[in-house]
Amino acid sequence: MSLTRRLATAALFSVGLMGGGPIDKALAQAKTEITFARFFGACEADYGTSQDYKTARGECGVMTTLVNHFNATNTQNIVVKPQVIEWGPYYQQLTARIAARDIPTIAVMHTSQIGDFVRARIVEPIEDDLKAAGIDINDMTPHARRGVTLNNQIHALPWDTHSWPWHINGALFKQAGLVDAAGNPVLPKNVEELMAHAKIMREKTGKPYFIMASVAPADAGNGTRSFWTMLAQQDASLFPNNSWDKANFSQPEVRNIYAVFEQLAKDGHITKGLDGAGGLGGFIAGNGAVYLTGTWRIDDLIAASARPDTGLKDYQARIFPNLFKTDAVWADNHSWVMLRGGTNPQTRAAARVFLKYLWDNNFDWARGGGHLPIRQSMMADYAKLPQRTNVMKITEIGRSLPHDVRRQFGFQSLIGEEINNMINGGKPIDQALKDAQDRADQLLSRR
Amino acid sequence: MSLGNTTRLDLADKVILGLVTALALLWLAPIIWVIGLSFKPNEVLMRDTRGVFSAPFTLKNYTDIIASSQVFSWMLNSVIVATGQTVLTLMLSTLAGYGFARTDFPGKRILFAVVLVGLAVPEQAIIVPLHTMFAAADLHNTYAGLIAPRLAFPFGVFLMTQYFRGVPREIEEAAMLDNASRFKIFVKVILPLTIPAQATLGIYTFLHAWNEYFWPLVSATKPEMYTLTIGLAAMQTNFAQTEGIGFLMAQAVFAGLPVFILYLFFQRHIINAVSGRVG
Repeated sequence: MSLTRRLATAALFSVGLMGGGPIDKALAQAKTEITFARFFGACEADYGTSQDYKTARGECGVMTTLVNHFNATNTQNIVVKPQVIEWGPYYQQLTARIAARDIPTIAVMHTSQIGDFVRARIVEPIEDDLKAAGIDINDMTPHARRGVTLNNQIHALPWDTHSWPWHINGALFKQAGLVDAAGNPVLPKNVEELMAHAKIMREKTGKPYFIMASVAPADAGNGTRSFWTMLAQQDASLFPNNSWDKANFSQPEVRNIYAVFEQLAKDGHITKGLDGAGGLGGFIAGNGAVYLTGTWRIDDLIAASARPDTGLKDYQARIFPNLFKTDAVWADNHSWVMLRGGTNPQTRAAARVFLKYLWDNNFDWARGGGHLPIRQSMMADYAKLPQRTNVMKITEIGRSLPHDVRRQFGFQSLIGEEINNMINGGKPIDQALKDAQDRADQLLSRR
Repeated sequence: MSLGNTTRLDLADKVILGLVTALALLWLAPIIWVIGLSFKPNEVLMRDTRGVFSAPFTLKNYTDIIASSQVFSWMLNSVIVATGQTVLTLMLSTLAGYGFARTDFPGKRILFAVVLVGLAVPEQAIIVPLHTMFAAADLHNTYAGLIAPRLAFPFGVFLMTQYFRGVPREIEEAAMLDNASRFKIFVKVILPLTIPAQATLGIYTFLHAWNEYFWPLVSATKPEMYTLTIGLAAMQTNFAQTEGIGFLMAQAVFAGLPVFILYLFFQRHIINAVSGRVG
């Protein structure tokens, strides 16, 4: 950087530090590059130069076109430089980047992961930034706001809510006679009813009630999300008295859930040995009545259901039914954080402009990316999309693992892995609960 | 009598050949399956992964990879890193191996034992201090940062030491009688004899460096410094295992192609390397 440019930049910062506002104006002249670390993949072949985010499909398509459009149209001369990282090891790499002082300006983060980063003082509150950007935080949906709020302060801009509905093959429900007078699927109201419905489904259609992938490492999440849903439905906590270092797998509410999976597996009401592709393909082929996967699959399944050669007839998405006493379902959010040390006054101002742009266009992320929006003012439009009226309530009843629980990535995996061990390996419930307890103790006791 | 033996031998050969062919086909089946899937549309594979060899087929999975503006720079990074690592590992391992096999110095046995202990230390055990060390030296996101950690290669030192020990001392002594210096003996006499071992070590190192994932993941964090393995993985969508199987398979084939080409040229040495032979 030339001396002249350095002096100009320094002057720019000084003006900004004194007044705040002039930086935004000054950005109009100086080009500002901000880095944008995210997963969601790269799709240059389909969307490399496209700015048409209104029609883009899929997480990658919408994200790519949104950034392209922002880079092409923002008047402050801001350039957003995406840094795309694989989803699986994303947090390991992000941590490594922080250690190496290669810190992105903005980074995507699941709100379930934020707690670890806030405790390490890597993610700091950004409520003032959001307000300065003109973002109305009161417009956030309740679940999204809870997700980004720690210590009564907002630490991230929520980007979506994603959850765990039941994806239903309506035709199989009809064939089993599990429909009401209007022909809509009748969902169970408690565990006994669930087992009875599953038995009827097997007898009338020859198909299992549930399809769930349970063999690959990534499949652990399927059991885990169902677990959290049913635990919240019992108003229970894995951490009695908020003892975040000690999970309790021996309480009856936890056993109830593991027992559901054990029974389903023993009676052949849930698929065994399927990976993600096998689960999705099997559901589309009509090999099961209820597919356990996320809200992000709704559009794919609507499209699959419309094909003439499909086994998935009369597809419907429904909120995970209340099998115990309280309406609740697992939910998480993608959000945008600014990491400590990742900004200077100039890039921080630019980041605010970009975050406001993302906030303004949140609907298209929900539309094309398959998630729920995080703005209450967008819910009415969202409800007009196919099947979405059935899942709208998630933004109110969505429940997440408390932020106070450390190492949530590993912790959540072990819950589902032990469930999968029961399903695929026939591990006795007592052993599965004991192993879950031992693994949790080991994980949470580490400092 | 001899005719009978020959016949029995032929029969035995045929049985072995048949078994080997069957095993080879069994081993090839998933590879053929991967290649087949790489030519199938993703939306078709979302519904069903059977019917690998029936239409429809597509080249889109491959054009999607090539369309990425950075894929060839990632490939170049992989070539630079793998080649750099191979050349430098060969130099260090050869020199160290010669030193351990042919020279005497205080503490040689202990030092060699320390090198051998390195064989037993898994990568994961040292990743944090290694990363911190390279961060302190500001070497992440550089070629040096990608190449240097793998240069301390205990297996390479061990292999070359053992190989040098197998070279008759008389050859060196004959050269000494001709007044050749130790360096000249090393370069002109001994080194040419170690070409088979170096080829083995070189190929092994190159393949390992090419396929390396974990260290580049945490060290090369800027997209322009990604190696091919990291870059291709970053292109995957979050649900690639269900909605992008064809693309995943094409990535596997694409990443494996350079190594496959390398294999075609160096088959014999690679087989020697894998089977533990160095001659």
